[in-house]
Amino acid sequence: MTQQQMPFWTRFVLGLLVAAGLSVAATSADAQARKPQDPQEEWDIEDQPGYVPPAGAESLVGPWEKQLVYFRTNEAPGTIVVHTSERHLYLVQGNNRAIRYGIGVGREGFQWKGLVSISRKQEWPDWRPPPEMIQRQPYLPRFMAGGPGNPMGARALYLGATVYRIHGTNQPQTIGTNVSSGCFRLVNPDVIDLYERVPLGTKVVVRQAASI
Amino acid sequence: MLVGRRILALGACAAMLALAGCAADDRVLGVPSVRSTVPPKITAEQLVGRWGLGAYHRDTDRARTITQARQQCGNAYVITKGTNGGVMMHVADSSDLFELQVRVGGDGNTYLGPDGQPAGSEWDREIVSVEQDIITARWVDKDNVDRYGTMVFVRCGGR
Repeated sequence: MTQQQMPFWTRFVLGLLVAAGLSVAATSADAQARKPQDPQEEWDIEDQPGYVPPAGAESLVGPWEKQLVYFRTNEAPGTIVVHTSERHLYLVQGNNRAIRYGIGVGREGFQWKGLVSISRKQEWPDWRPPPEMIQRQPYLPRFMAGGPGNPMGARALYLGATVYRIHGTNQPQTIGTNVSSGCFRLVNPDVIDLYERVPLGTKVVVRQAASI
Repeated sequence: MLVGRRILALGACAAMLALAGCAADDRVLGVPSVRSTVPPKITAEQLVGRWGLGAYHRDTDRARTITQARQQCGNAYVITKGTNGGVMMHVADSSDLFELQVRVGGDGNTYLGPDGQPAGSEWDREIVSVEQDIITARWVDKDNVDRYGTMVFVRCGGR
């Protein structure tokens, strides 16, 4: 959570309390140890490593809920089609039908399109925060073993030789948003479902705009 | 929101310290400090250096995490000496450096945390074990434990 997202009363009381704390006539070392000194410091924990969402939070509703939909396409059954702009992933079923999953996609500047295939499947993938994330959040472990609460979620489908993956998440609230660095994230129950439906080599079409 | 609440709690603590004027006292918030005769598992000096940092939640992942942490020395976590006998490190979820002290709690466990609160307080890590070039640590705060699990610091070559 950023300072901007913090409710006003929280910021106000925080400011008063921290100001009171800083008024202590103590040495600079004492004051430093009392932390945090600067109410403007960044407390954005972003991917919240280790966060386990509460029960029920992974049950999506509305357009982000997994569902069978009408889907016109020339792609063969078994193909994955990602519509980045819609924030939906389709698993083509044939007969103009597809299973549709709600996804989180890359934020602006991190979106891409292309034709790839699934090159690797991994249960409970590990997580290595990218260097730029370590720069912002230097307290993070450089490696976090896969498991519940891992930002990579329950399953990962690696896309060709790219750095991108279809994976789970420990933040179900990010489904339907532009939040990632180019990967596609599903809630854990959905990525487990998709993982079991698709084999290695599955064709994946990534589109930025919906085709008509 | 969680972080906001924790900042509030910390701010409240700072405010109470201010009111009590107890910055140099060895009693904090009415809790007498307990001086243990048990030696700490590690000294501040031994913490200084470059470390590969990994975390795991399941004990079955420990060996793998140590291996992976060692491979992260190219992006090492660097611990330097503080000016008051401690070490400069981060606390959970804060990008700022603070001087942390190695202390032994009343329970005989070794903790690493900021001055001003008893050993084993919310912002502390417990030093669970020290074996050769590997330090195993765990946050005291349950929320941090749930999120970060057990952390291993694996010493990198050079200091």
